[in-house]
Amino acid sequence: MTKNEFLTKLADELKKNNIPDYDDIVAEYEQHFAFKMADGYSEEEIAAKLGNPAVLASQFESINQDKKSAGKKATTIIGLSFIDIFAGAFFVLLIAWEIIMAAFSLCSLAVAVCLFGKISPLSLIPPMPYGPALVFGISLTALALLTAVGCIYFAAFIRQLMRSFGRFHHNTIAAASGNAILPSIAIYPRLPAKTNRRIRTIALISLVLFASSFVLGMIISMILSGSLEFWHIWGWFGYKIGN
Amino acid sequence: MNIQYKKGVLELCVLSLLKKHDCYGYEISEYLSKHIDIADGTVYPILRKLKSDGLLTTYMQEESGGPPRKYYSLTKLGRETYEKEREEYLNFAKRVEALLEDDE
Repeated sequence: MTKNEFLTKLADELKKNNIPDYDDIVAEYEQHFAFKMADGYSEEEIAAKLGNPAVLASQFESINQDKKSAGKKATTIIGLSFIDIFAGAFFVLLIAWEIIMAAFSLCSLAVAVCLFGKISPLSLIPPMPYGPALVFGISLTALALLTAVGCIYFAAFIRQLMRSFGRFHHNTIAAASGNAILPSIAIYPRLPAKTNRRIRTIALISLVLFASSFVLGMIISMILSGSLEFWHIWGWFGYKIGN
Repeated sequence: MNIQYKKGVLELCVLSLLKKHDCYGYEISEYLSKHIDIADGTVYPILRKLKSDGLLTTYMQEESGGPPRKYYSLTKLGRETYEKEREEYLNFAKRVEALLEDDE
């Protein structure tokens, strides 16, 4: 087989298999001939070493399926946009929860500051002796810390979930249109082991501190007021019992 | 050896060569047929598949005294994929070797 015979046969086979840019492929084989001939091989030798053009053309077949996947891509995008609506609502919910947690943390801290500083804006802080106020203050500070750590971790989680969803989104379209797929992303945040350990330690310490000082505050208050329901003794709800 | 069987391994060989430096098609074909017994033409479908998978990109470069050559270069994805599949293949080959040698 001569060079021209080989290339014509290859081009015909590629066209038959509906390969879109067959001339690009043929050009590459033509260059192969050019290099080999420069090395002193005959056209027949080169063609024989290249292999059967029909077999070679069939090896290109499985690659280009853009035409077939055009409809599939449209369906995928429609399906994805429905998923996006639900996922979007879900993310709004997660972010709302994040905001609530952050607000809760700040409020706890504010109340703790009021207790420590003996201030009661608009008389909102229930009256109590300074001793239990200090213990409750510590308890609320710990609670603020605990929820703050929760907030930080949750924010990382939301971020990672969004990235993971974005990657899923990208890959689904890529797969439908026959493009390259990227590795998927885990949904849990991958914090460095050191940060992970630190977060866990802070969370654990603040949880223990919160619970123990809360119980301690209750007990001190009961002893000081001489009643299990100390809030009535100190008139937390606008009236006093026992006086 | 069975061609389908070889093809996956050939992809790995192409990636390994391109990891060292960018090459044009003929260079890759020569390199492979020197080491592995395949038809010279087989490498071009492989290059094309790797390109459509996003593992390779191409660019044209002028050479002194000749038409511009089409160079193949590894993408970031190609590099990552190569590292991963290299590990997998070497592991796999080691196990198969152990199994087959055990046969004697």
